[in-house]
Amino acid sequence: MTDLSSRFRYFVAAAILGAASLAVTGAHAQDTIRVGAPLPLTGPLSPEGLKQKRGYDLWAKTVNEAGGIAAGDKTYDVEIVYVDYESNTPRAVQSAERLITEDEVQFLFSPFGSGAAKAASSVSERYRIPTIAATASSEQVYDQGYKFLFGTFTPNSTLTDPLARIVADSGEDIKTVAIYARNDLFPLAIAKEMQASAEGNGYEVVSFDEFSVGTVDHASALTLMRQSQPDWIFATGYINDLILIRRQMADLGVEPQVLTMLAGPAYKEFTEATGDSAENVSSAAWWHPAVAYDGKDVFGSTADYVAAFEAEYGSLPDYAEASASAAGVILQAAIEDAGSIDPQAVRDALAGMDAVTFYGPVRFGETGQITSLEPPVFQIQGGEPMVIYPDAVKQSDMQYGGIQ
Amino acid sequence: MLYLQILLNGLMLGGLYACIAVGFSLVWGVLNVINILHGSFVVLGSYIAYFAYVHLGIHPFFSIVLSGGALFALGYAVQAGLINRVVGAPVLTTLVLTFGLDLLLNNSMLLAFSADYRTVRLENPFGSLVVANLVVPLNRLYAMLLAVVLTGLLYVVLMRSRIGRAIVAVRMDPEAAALMGVNVKRIFALTFGIGALMAGGAGSLLSLIFPISPLASTDFLGIAFVVCVLGGLGSIAGAMVGGLALGVIQSFGALFIGPEHGLTIAFVLLIILLIFKPTGLMGRRGYE
Amino acid sequence: MTRIIPIVVVIAVALVACLPLLGDNYLLRLGTMFAMYAVLALSWNIIGGFAGYPSFATAAFFGLGAYTGAILQGAGIPMIVAWTGACVMALVFAVLLGMAILHLKGHYFAIASLVVAEVLLEIATSWTGLTGGGMGLNLPVLQISIEAQARLFFYAMLTIAVLALLMNWLVSRGKVGFALRCIRQNEDASSMVGIDTTFYKVTGFGLSAILVGGAGAIYASWVFYIEPADVFSVLLSVKPIVMAMLGGAGTVLGPVVGALVFIVMEELVWRNFLSFHAAVLGLLIVGLIFFLPNGILGLVRRRRAAGLKPEEEGAA
Repeated sequence: MTDLSSRFRYFVAAAILGAASLAVTGAHAQDTIRVGAPLPLTGPLSPEGLKQKRGYDLWAKTVNEAGGIAAGDKTYDVEIVYVDYESNTPRAVQSAERLITEDEVQFLFSPFGSGAAKAASSVSERYRIPTIAATASSEQVYDQGYKFLFGTFTPNSTLTDPLARIVADSGEDIKTVAIYARNDLFPLAIAKEMQASAEGNGYEVVSFDEFSVGTVDHASALTLMRQSQPDWIFATGYINDLILIRRQMADLGVEPQVLTMLAGPAYKEFTEATGDSAENVSSAAWWHPAVAYDGKDVFGSTADYVAAFEAEYGSLPDYAEASASAAGVILQAAIEDAGSIDPQAVRDALAGMDAVTFYGPVRFGETGQITSLEPPVFQIQGGEPMVIYPDAVKQSDMQYGGIQ
Repeated sequence: MLYLQILLNGLMLGGLYACIAVGFSLVWGVLNVINILHGSFVVLGSYIAYFAYVHLGIHPFFSIVLSGGALFALGYAVQAGLINRVVGAPVLTTLVLTFGLDLLLNNSMLLAFSADYRTVRLENPFGSLVVANLVVPLNRLYAMLLAVVLTGLLYVVLMRSRIGRAIVAVRMDPEAAALMGVNVKRIFALTFGIGALMAGGAGSLLSLIFPISPLASTDFLGIAFVVCVLGGLGSIAGAMVGGLALGVIQSFGALFIGPEHGLTIAFVLLIILLIFKPTGLMGRRGYE
Repeated sequence: MTRIIPIVVVIAVALVACLPLLGDNYLLRLGTMFAMYAVLALSWNIIGGFAGYPSFATAAFFGLGAYTGAILQGAGIPMIVAWTGACVMALVFAVLLGMAILHLKGHYFAIASLVVAEVLLEIATSWTGLTGGGMGLNLPVLQISIEAQARLFFYAMLTIAVLALLMNWLVSRGKVGFALRCIRQNEDASSMVGIDTTFYKVTGFGLSAILVGGAGAIYASWVFYIEPADVFSVLLSVKPIVMAMLGGAGTVLGPVVGALVFIVMEELVWRNFLSFHAAVLGLLIVGLIFFLPNGILGLVRRRRAAGLKPEEEGAA
């Protein structure tokens, strides 16, 4: 051992132990509203986490530029405190507790997806922190009897029911459905919902297959579908799964009359990665940039929001990004209605909310889940997602066939 | 006909698996280092191919030279600068070291490229070949053939060139090789570089097929593990056989038992093989 | 000197046990995590530290324990019994597994143990009827106050951490520890001098599993919701190794010291680097390999030895 290297070791050891004795406390200004946002910024869900962050950031920036939130006779700036929970659910719960007890946030945006949102809601309920979930759709998240949890997604069945009805009413000769789902919380739940919607509308579900997380090849399942020739293929998963499935379908020549995928086609990354083969893929989402509402919020109309988003990020917002911004807008409206940042008052304002925002009309049901939205069904046509339903914002008719 | 199609699917997938695994196998065999970085190396190769195609218009089949060269340099530097210092240490030390380096590399890629999935979408896609109701996706076929050529080239280099013979000699017996005048540490660095080169090349080929993201690295690493153990360690022919075997097993497994069990089958097989025949399907290890 | 150490340890444990008095729930959560990490690191130490077998099976034992506990509790079995059941399950599994894979050496053993967790993960994911599959599993919620819950799980975790420490101490002084150390030095020679290496290896492997299974079950009760990817995560296998190496593998107190330093580091890095913390953790691990190859205790010991006699002491 040379002198230098042993001294270096001491230095490292001292640094480690020194770090151990450091205490970190969050200092914060008097008139700032702090909103905690645990997000999956690393790990498998990080693409989703980054989307949510974009939505929150845009809201916070817009609010602060407009002079902040007025509550009673005080005006507050907004600060969003982010924590990365590494796409790990228990870590999300830990993050929520840390944000509340250590960072002293007054409000919380839930972590991504139904599972983590549900797990974290027990913490925020315990501390009586009004919490808005921007990406949780399962009814099981909201039926726990919690008073402080509100969500901006309608239940999964509101996506699959209109789809099944549109195809059933089309008069096309479509009888059989094959369902192919990722064995994961949301994709599996929505696939089961689709099965119910399909059977309810008189279709025969010829196969229901699951694939495991981390599958890099779908050739066998697709080869089987090529044999069984279903009229309608319904595939669920995250965007990487759906890109791979769509490409392999094209490779193997699987060409159903209708191809529905959830939840990828709403993201521009999907059309970029699949090109022409994205054409005529149908899907549904909780929001779409083509909807038109005349919001009374800081963004104004839907078109204004889309323009603001484009100016900031250079692309159209998708439903996840918009829902995150909407969570901010809803929180802001509740604080302004309540005239204070008292948690109970804000919670009551949320429960009684009846407002129109760029995202759509906002009313929450008994459980805290939004009831006032009508999720659009859309189809990729000419490289763009075109709204098929609801009729009020319809841009195009559903095309059948043409899946190559 | 169905079985023939499934077999074809499996073989084409297996060729890609072999290409992912061969560099990993070489490093493990020669250096006795399990390189946790390997999956991230493959992903980095894919990104190089992606950017070369998008910005310079270079076809991924040709950007193998770029990604392979860049990864060789990175691999050589990592081995010469870091791993060589602990190469004689217990198994765990090198394993934990490459694990730490992987956290660093993968997180850096996540920050630099974001986790958004990208794919190389060719101006003129290859399409598929249809023969008597059998479908052969040409992008996979060409990628697999190139993977075989690349692996064959590596084999020739190891067998014929001076450096290749030195690598084989170090693998057999590092002390004896050192006595014969071989600079063992340099050979280690070269070998690690070549392993990274193969990962980069594989990344280029895969960029046509799989969505690219730093998140894919663990999948690639898992595949490399299974292929290596299946085929037998450190042998190039073994990696080839292991890759093809895994591809075919997964395809038929998904057919008979269901697609959600593809990975389970592969892993169970791996454990059984480890327990009863740890030298892999190819039996004795070595380059012969 | 050696007589002081047990007293210091007892005082330290007593101090940690007073943590709830501070009334900070988040700190209590960290304390529970620390106790859990200590259990994992101490347990790994038996097979990985004493015997030198690079086991990556910790996640397998942990996940198995978590699911056993959760399923038993879901069936209406009292919590304590469910936890005990998880310990037994992990032990039985480890003994059977050990008999199958402990004849493998080095990297082969490492991979076999690593893949076991992957297989269990896949099984837990696809066996939807029993485990809830990818949808995860909810546990019955306790009908006691939040503070009482936090304290209950903290003390439960701390109790098995103390048990793990005692186990390490007993093993290191007893026959098993002697045999395992012999195996680490030279397995062939050990069996030639009459040590039943298979028996001791399987024993060591079983000991390294039993409390991890219990920790998994307590963890499941604590967080109320488990899903396969979380409880079988490969990081649960890697972190204990890093902790044990950080403190000093093969020593009794090393893994505890490592767990403490690790959790403090992890927390600080996590707080201060929003999306770059994995990289910083990676850098720390690399630094550890180069600058603290024998862990913190190894460094202390080396310093002390250097003060007494100039020549170098053998690596721990």
